[in-house]
Amino acid sequence: MLPGVEITSERNVPKPGMTWRSGAGPILLLGALVLLVMAEPAFAQVPAGRDYGDFPVIGGRAAVWVAAQVHLLFAAFVLGVPMFAVVTEAIGMFGGDERYDKLSKEFTRLLLVAYSATAIWGGILLFLLVTIYPTLFSYLAQIFNLSMWIYVGLFFFESFTLYLYYYGWDRWKKGRAKWFHWGLGIALNVWGTIVMFIANGWLTYMMSPPADVTVDTAPQMVQLWSALTNATWMPINIHRLIANVVFGGAVVGAYAAYRFLAAKSDEERAHYDWMGYVGNMIAIGALIVLPFAGYWLGREIYEFNQQMGITMMGGFMSWLWIIQAFLIGILFLAGNYYLWVGMGRIPGAERFMPYTKYMLAVLIVGVIVWATPNTMIASREEFAAMGGTHHPFLSVLGLMSGKNTAVNFMILTTFLSFLLYRRANKEPVVPWARTGTIVQGAIFVVASAIVLFYGIYGYMVPTLVRIGFSVYQVLTVLACIIGVITIDLLMLRGATSRGEIQWGRMPQRSQYALFILAVTFTWLMGLMGFARSGIRQHWHVFEVIRDTSPWAATPALGYSSVVISACVLIFFGLVAFIFWLGSLAEKPVISSAGRASAAGGIQSELQPAPSEG
Amino acid sequence: MLKTNLSILAVVIGCLGVFTWVANAIPQIQSDVPEDLVLSDDVTPEELIAAGEELYNGGGGCTACHGLGERAPNLLTDHAGTGLIGERCANRVAGEDCKQYLHTSMVDPNAYLVEGFAPIMLDASRTLSSVQIWALVAYLQSLGGEVTVSGADFADDGGAAAAGGVVASAPAAPVLGPTGPLDPEELLTRHTCATCHAVTGQSPLGPSYEGMGSRLTADEIRTSILDPTASAAEGFEAMLGIMPPIFGNIPAAELEAIVQFIASQR
Repeated sequence: MLPGVEITSERNVPKPGMTWRSGAGPILLLGALVLLVMAEPAFAQVPAGRDYGDFPVIGGRAAVWVAAQVHLLFAAFVLGVPMFAVVTEAIGMFGGDERYDKLSKEFTRLLLVAYSATAIWGGILLFLLVTIYPTLFSYLAQIFNLSMWIYVGLFFFESFTLYLYYYGWDRWKKGRAKWFHWGLGIALNVWGTIVMFIANGWLTYMMSPPADVTVDTAPQMVQLWSALTNATWMPINIHRLIANVVFGGAVVGAYAAYRFLAAKSDEERAHYDWMGYVGNMIAIGALIVLPFAGYWLGREIYEFNQQMGITMMGGFMSWLWIIQAFLIGILFLAGNYYLWVGMGRIPGAERFMPYTKYMLAVLIVGVIVWATPNTMIASREEFAAMGGTHHPFLSVLGLMSGKNTAVNFMILTTFLSFLLYRRANKEPVVPWARTGTIVQGAIFVVASAIVLFYGIYGYMVPTLVRIGFSVYQVLTVLACIIGVITIDLLMLRGATSRGEIQWGRMPQRSQYALFILAVTFTWLMGLMGFARSGIRQHWHVFEVIRDTSPWAATPALGYSSVVISACVLIFFGLVAFIFWLGSLAEKPVISSAGRASAAGGIQSELQPAPSEG
Repeated sequence: MLKTNLSILAVVIGCLGVFTWVANAIPQIQSDVPEDLVLSDDVTPEELIAAGEELYNGGGGCTACHGLGERAPNLLTDHAGTGLIGERCANRVAGEDCKQYLHTSMVDPNAYLVEGFAPIMLDASRTLSSVQIWALVAYLQSLGGEVTVSGADFADDGGAAAAGGVVASAPAAPVLGPTGPLDPEELLTRHTCATCHAVTGQSPLGPSYEGMGSRLTADEIRTSILDPTASAAEGFEAMLGIMPPIFGNIPAAELEAIVQFIASQR
């Protein structure tokens, strides 16, 4: 018997004034049969004995937590990488530049072993759930059984599409066959996205079950579609889609950094320098968009349940956002640092270098403001020590107005870094180049002024009005990015070069920035996973199924950080193994009898075009 | 290459170490589960206050909003010059004493919305038991006022102490008894019996309850609910097996109310 779960179905009862139509008999019969079919496995699955199992040493919750987190990290990688693999393949196809095709294939090679690891950890998670949380799993299985079967089927399709995609790369290389091959890449993304959407439905149901599901609702009576498409489902879907791209880009960047550091030749170093740049650009580019999806998710959480939103932002999790700000600050700093160091290999970039110190100052001030706490749990003694419920000065910075302003300035600064990097060795030839540059500068100034205006004005209006200002700030920054990049694209058509980018001439320290980015992204994913799951507090399914296990209390950040670090360490340990396997696959070619010529052949394929920016 | 590998490992471990250290250096706050309260009906005000304070600062989750003076009225210190909550509560609504006002504010939080605040609070009885809510009332009264809550208040809420004590847990804990009033017709609706069986007249699918009491004993009715495949009513043989055997999950008291109701339909 499930705790707190009983049979009821008010939604199936005719409302006052409704009557059953005489012709509804067969439908009712069919409905009853379906009800029966759905109900019987439910009975078979109800555990007779315990609600919770245990796991040695670390406890059941930690075991499931680690398995779920590592599984999710691999899943994010195998969902994110195909997205930009298919894009880079398209760039190669339509642009006629084979380097991108090679790059895309190299991305895909990393996926093969990562897929196996994803499946293995998925299996581990499943068995742990069945043995440690049997009653909860039985409850969820009764609701989601159909979607679980579809999920497994899609996973099968996805795996074999990947095998076809990778192993058919050289076979379907030309003409229509290449289009077919590219179609496989798209199909791979479609399967993967649907798989993720289904799994997201399960976890978001636990977080935000439909309003008509109560503690008395039997799982057989919960409609599958309604359960899947709950309040936070689509925001999580979009947030994860973008985050997977960020994460995939970061891990690919780390892979390229590793290969760069291990490179034996300049050509190899040049290739992996370029690959690292592409990975970093993908990661930071998608990261800039991610907060917008985060805003949406946060808003939906508040709309679903105000108290859940408050628990997340101002309750026991308030300090989590300070840690998040610290981590994102590192991401921004490391990403910009990599770009600034990279400008050292671009002729003409020296004219922009003096500005980097100002950009660094903006980023540091932004991080400090963002990491300033405002609302948090405090005891009476702590309030008394502070002289009130807020810090007399710092609390001003901790308000959303200050934080939003800081974040938007950091995004604008990072975008400016990309723009300068992009422009470094280019000399526009269009007659309106000077006007265009002035207009671009004006857009930056106006955007900054608007962000600052709403940041300051936000202190003078009620909270509810202030929250709405964040939308104006975000839209302003987006408009600035779109406007400036559009002008840039038009202005640099036919631009002359000040000199070729010296790929491979990158200091080794820059590569460690890519490692820091990858580790920080991964840790941040673990932290945000804890936040999303933790706001349910002592509920398996929020306000429907209560957690009565010994681990029902939601742990503090200190303990959580240890678990997250362990997950990240396991993940990178396995990823390092996968990278090593990837390098093994190349060795037979490079170490063959004609080593020098073969290596030369590979290297010439790997080498990026000198003008690539 | 070994040196490179070791330096990469050092960067990874260093990052993880810093992140873990920072996360451990901040205040460590765990979200506790609201604990069961065991209070006798002669509970002292001090016991109630202590229980309420623990709940307020812990599993009750009150401090997320109250006490900060931004999202919800400040309950820990003076609010807008009106004094501490224990002082001002009696003056908030004409005709309501402090105890009544605080209790209503928790179970019907939009009834007396304090000016300047949005109606964001949910009914506390969704997550807290009656005893827990009264303990919170006592704690808030103690902040500048006189505690008037007593064991009699839980008894008035239907939680009278059996064998001298009240064991209260949040209402969403595993349901072992009736979940609502034992109104048979309401139960028939809630448990979906009425989807197929009509109380009077022609049923949508299964036999009507009308006159069923004259054909079947209470035991037979109970058996047919718990094991619906055992036998079929006359004229409904073709339907045998359609009724799912899931209604045994109904709490015993509710099942019995349904059985007695059907048995009374003669």
